[in-house]
Amino acid sequence: MKLIKDKVAKLSFVALLVSVTAAMFYTPTASAHGEKSQAAFMRMRTIHWFDLNWSKDELTVNDTMTISGKFHVFAGWPETVDKPEISFLNIGIPGPVFIRAGSWIGGQLVPRSVTLELGETYEFKVLLKARRPGDWHVHTMMNVKGGGPIIGPGKWVTISGSMANFKNPITTLTGETIDLETYNLSNTYFWHTFWYALGIAWVAYWARKPMFIPRIIAVDSGKADSLISATDRKVALAFAAGSIAIVAMSMSSTNEQYPVTTPLQAGLLRGMKPLEMPAPTVSVKVEDATYRVPGRAMQMTLTVTNNGDAPIRLGEFNTAGVRFLDAAVSKDESGYPDDLLAEEGLTVSDNSALAPGQSRTIQVTASDAAWEVYRLADLIYDPDSRFAGLLFFYDDAGGRQMVMVDAPLIPSFI
Amino acid sequence: MSASQSAVRSRAEAVKVSRTFDWLILFTLFFVILGGYHVHFMLTGGDWDFWTDWKDRRLWVTVLPIVGITFPAAVQSVLWWRYRLPFGAVVAVLGLLFGEWVNRYFNFWGWTYFPVNFVFPSNFMPGAIVLDVILMLSNSMQLTAVLGGLGYGLLFYPGNWPIIAPLHVPVEYNGMMMTLADLQGYHYVRTGTPEYIRMVEKGTLRTFGKDVAPVSAFFSGFVSIIIYFLWHFFGKWFGSTAFTQST
Repeated sequence: MKLIKDKVAKLSFVALLVSVTAAMFYTPTASAHGEKSQAAFMRMRTIHWFDLNWSKDELTVNDTMTISGKFHVFAGWPETVDKPEISFLNIGIPGPVFIRAGSWIGGQLVPRSVTLELGETYEFKVLLKARRPGDWHVHTMMNVKGGGPIIGPGKWVTISGSMANFKNPITTLTGETIDLETYNLSNTYFWHTFWYALGIAWVAYWARKPMFIPRIIAVDSGKADSLISATDRKVALAFAAGSIAIVAMSMSSTNEQYPVTTPLQAGLLRGMKPLEMPAPTVSVKVEDATYRVPGRAMQMTLTVTNNGDAPIRLGEFNTAGVRFLDAAVSKDESGYPDDLLAEEGLTVSDNSALAPGQSRTIQVTASDAAWEVYRLADLIYDPDSRFAGLLFFYDDAGGRQMVMVDAPLIPSFI
Repeated sequence: MSASQSAVRSRAEAVKVSRTFDWLILFTLFFVILGGYHVHFMLTGGDWDFWTDWKDRRLWVTVLPIVGITFPAAVQSVLWWRYRLPFGAVVAVLGLLFGEWVNRYFNFWGWTYFPVNFVFPSNFMPGAIVLDVILMLSNSMQLTAVLGGLGYGLLFYPGNWPIIAPLHVPVEYNGMMMTLADLQGYHYVRTGTPEYIRMVEKGTLRTFGKDVAPVSAFFSGFVSIIIYFLWHFFGKWFGSTAFTQST
């Protein structure tokens, strides 16, 4: 019996060691940014990204790429999220694997936070320069103060080469060209090493004599004053005076070396120029909307009225970056990420051309595994069970109209 | 050997054991302080110490000495009154800086590739040396709090200026002026740290024109005096020994 017990104990110990070792060495790459964990209503009812384009999906270190497109700031912004009065156009990448060489909204550089208006559509562009090799998921992203990060669609981009070759040259207003990647590094190391060494010297001065036990005995027996000698006082004075003198001299010499310095720049950028969108000539009324949980499909009953002068057809429903297309009307030619594209995911009960002046009630079904994969189906558990998205109507001449829809959503569990 | 016999048999052996204890205690003290001070400082100083584009002439100068004088005050209180050792503030700052550098180098650079010239820690050493020397020469917590606390606040900005000044050189970038530090913050993407949470250059110190750093440093020094008083009591409490009455 004891033999069995010993063997079990030994094997258990070996198993524990193997488990610990495996846990230490198994370090999978984190490849996403939690976009699927973000509440569905945050992605469906805040910022709608569309017409996105990633200029490259393979590049080498020091190459640049752009992400461009448009975003619509949803007019029915949820009450539970602060309005985008202070927002920042960010980029969702795992750390500085790219540097953000530029970002623009409506043609204006936006290195700082901006104010966005509800109901407006903006053009944007982000210029990225490849820095670290790897496969990276590159997302559009808008940070909203009080609302958190609102992450948009992401696409895999591969960087090859070596990070050691990365260069970030900048010319200052004083005429000097520096590499921001390594600039000021030796100066930083020098001063930190210098002051650290001085600190160690101060401790070492005291540590060369007996420290704790003899000193506490002396203090407890009322002989504390005998522990500090006249030499100690002189050395201490030298340390303090020397430190102050070094601070004063180094500050003075720094000011001589860098006579032109400015404070950090901060402040909110207001007045972002929205895109001038023509008023849509199509009106859409949502009669009802249900999400059928077993079928992973959202069904809408829409009454569409064409007030324009050309026949139109519904080609796309876009929500939370997932695009449901009617392949007979609309095709993606931008290389949109596959997992966010349902090329035949939109079914319309009657998608024949709607003539000018006509009105029609149609059943629209948007179905795809993306509802589950991207956890949009979790909308039914949100505090405000509504959905929102963009409908794109097309005419025969290639014209496109964008209509926003927003309505309550009723889940169906059977 | 009975319980009442000494563990050492000669004076030489006693000295040797005492010195061994010295190094053991100093080593342990260093890492205990490092852990506590580092966590405290990360939680209270946080981003102001992490990024160069947070190191401004108002809030960085004001906040960091205030939250940074805490552990030096407490450790000084223990080491001076119990052992007459005047290196409490310096040993605390050595611990903090060691922890910060390990964090910045292996975590910020090694794991997430932020360049070190963007994420280096702030330097507290000049203030710590002055704090220790004032306590040693005056043998007074009050004087150390008033003079040392003030000095700790006042020496912070000039003590760091040789390191951060090169990053305050202006640059024109796509039609906007910014400092190199601002540009670092813009270039090196921080997904979880949007620009709007950066607390810099906020406040109403406009009467002093461009010379706000000395005013901020004085204010920081005044508050550091109060914080010193408070935290030296923590040290006193932690350094006290309580015995229970034998029945």
